Amino acid sequence: MLTVLGAALAVALELFESLAIVLAVALTRRTRDAVVGALAAVVFCAALAVVVGPLLISRVAIEPLRLIVGTALLLFGLEWLRKAILRLAGLRARSDSYLEFEQERETLRELEAPPADRTDWAARTIAFKGVALEGVEIILIVTALAARPGGLTPALIGASVALALTVALGLVLHRPARRIPETQLKYIVGLVLTSFGCFFAGEGLGIHWPLGDAALLVLAGVFLLASRLLVATLGRATPAAAQGGTA
Amino acid sequence: MNTLRELRKLVLGETWTLPLGVAGALGIAAGLRALAGSNDWWRDGGGVVLALLVLVVLVLSLRSKAR
Repeated sequence: MLTVLGAALAVALELFESLAIVLAVALTRRTRDAVVGALAAVVFCAALAVVVGPLLISRVAIEPLRLIVGTALLLFGLEWLRKAILRLAGLRARSDSYLEFEQERETLRELEAPPADRTDWAARTIAFKGVALEGVEIILIVTALAARPGGLTPALIGASVALALTVALGLVLHRPARRIPETQLKYIVGLVLTSFGCFFAGEGLGIHWPLGDAALLVLAGVFLLASRLLVATLGRATPAAAQGGTA
Repeated sequence: MNTLRELRKLVLGETWTLPLGVAGALGIAAGLRALAGSNDWWRDGGGVVLALLVLVVLVLSLRSKAR
């Protein structure tokens, strides 16, 4: 269940950021160029996924594989957690895809658009880059969650649900929703990925977790408690945090 | 060049403290495991040590920004 939640939230949030860029391109330039750029990035990411996952599973023994997976998840999880703590403490601006959407539109307005019969390479490149960069992170996170025994199905279910929801949201809204608590959701993803990372890295280093898979919940609780303490400590030194400000 | 920088930030994070800290923490853990040898303390209690090392890395990564 934790794998489904982690994969779904991580993929949804990354896709949401990509969606903001693709929608900005579609609304400011031409929809066709935004879709072509985004689809090219999807093909690139799919090719990467086809290579990375099977290569890792077929070539690496189980103990080093757990260590590699754990290390990757720790890198992603701690980065998400670090940013979330700084945001919640008021030391960093809150995560806001709508703001990113507006900034991207502003950048595109400043670029000269080609004639109607010419390909808009600038628009395609921006859409491609927006999807490809977030897509690479999605591939790495889902591959890491899927690489453990029994992890493939829940990781793919989580990722598929997130993909379907985000695409549906994009088709319905035509612009990023403003009321999604992105900072809090990213905080949860950080906690989940860090817990998984610590768990797998531990298994790769010969640690026997006393409660089996349930140790993941204990780890999540420890990281939750520690991160709340860090938010409170850092927030005390920042007046904006006390007012729930966006720094 | 800018894209490569963004890709590095996505994979390794915005600060070098995290990748270096994670490498250091796992290196220390691997060293302790080697020291423990056939002793069971690492197998049974290593999880607490590893979790503490991860927390230290998290605190260190926040320190530079908070200063």
